[in-house]
Amino acid sequence: MTAFVTLGGVYSTPVISSIFGAERSRDQELMTTSRALDQFLASVERRAFKIAQLGLRNDDDALDAVQDAMMKLVQSYSARPVEEWRPLFYRILANGIRDMQRRRTVRGRIMAWLPVRDADDDEEFDPIAQAPSQDAGPAKRLELDEAIGVLELAVAELPPRQQQAFLLRNFEGLDVNETASAMGCSEGSVKTHYFRALESLRAKLGEVF
Amino acid sequence: MTDPTDFEKRTQEVLDESAGRLDGHTRSRLTQARHAALAQLEQPARYWWRSYVPAGAAAAVTVLAVVMWSNPADRPSASPVEDMELLADSDAPDFVDDGDDLEFYEWAAGEVET
Repeated sequence: MTAFVTLGGVYSTPVISSIFGAERSRDQELMTTSRALDQFLASVERRAFKIAQLGLRNDDDALDAVQDAMMKLVQSYSARPVEEWRPLFYRILANGIRDMQRRRTVRGRIMAWLPVRDADDDEEFDPIAQAPSQDAGPAKRLELDEAIGVLELAVAELPPRQQQAFLLRNFEGLDVNETASAMGCSEGSVKTHYFRALESLRAKLGEVF
Repeated sequence: MTDPTDFEKRTQEVLDESAGRLDGHTRSRLTQARHAALAQLEQPARYWWRSYVPAGAAAAVTVLAVVMWSNPADRPSASPVEDMELLADSDAPDFVDDGDDLEFYEWAAGEVET
């Protein structure tokens, strides 16, 4: 009993009370940050997944890349100003995608002699999935389905830096400065990559779009 | 920044549509990924110092006790040499030289014996 009374006394000293006060304030700050991060991540997660999916052409790898980027952003940059989160997040994501692409290239060289099937092969060899749907949907929807397929294929075939610049600028809506920050290059490089990506896509999609 | 061309607007519209059509499984996994990332905010060593308070208090009490016990100003000297010095001090009260007192002590001792 005495021990409890003594500890109670220790906790109620001014120093400990001030620590408790600081902790309460820290809790509130943490809750605010957590809420802001949640909103931010929810607002970018789908587009981030599409970017990763187009870069990696594999849904599981894309999900891993997005989750990894989320983890790293929260772990290392949650204390940074909110307006810095987007370019930071996309920079982490871009690095993750690039690392996965490199690992895949190395693995591909090593395993080149094995008959490896990937998602593209699956699509090619599945006539049912390729068959047009029997449901008579609206014409607009069908047109969009076709446009999505053609555009995503064309974007996926762009060189990595052009693809990155195009998706960050056109899809995610980052400005030139933010895109440069996310890509880790100069604004001039961003403009060049973006311009070339647009030219390449126009050449491929001109008739469809 | 120049205004986006029709081609840019069209590609953006198509990509947005594509992102909006993600299947339930993918959306669910994205939500899980987000929650897993946010859970890290709760993990840093919060309240770590609370577990050290009882140990800290005990250590402080021990240190205080040791300091008080080892402080020589607060306890009597145990050295016999110091006692002898006190007795030999010329400024100390003299119990022996006074003849009246000696006679009184002899009388008191005799009274106790009888």
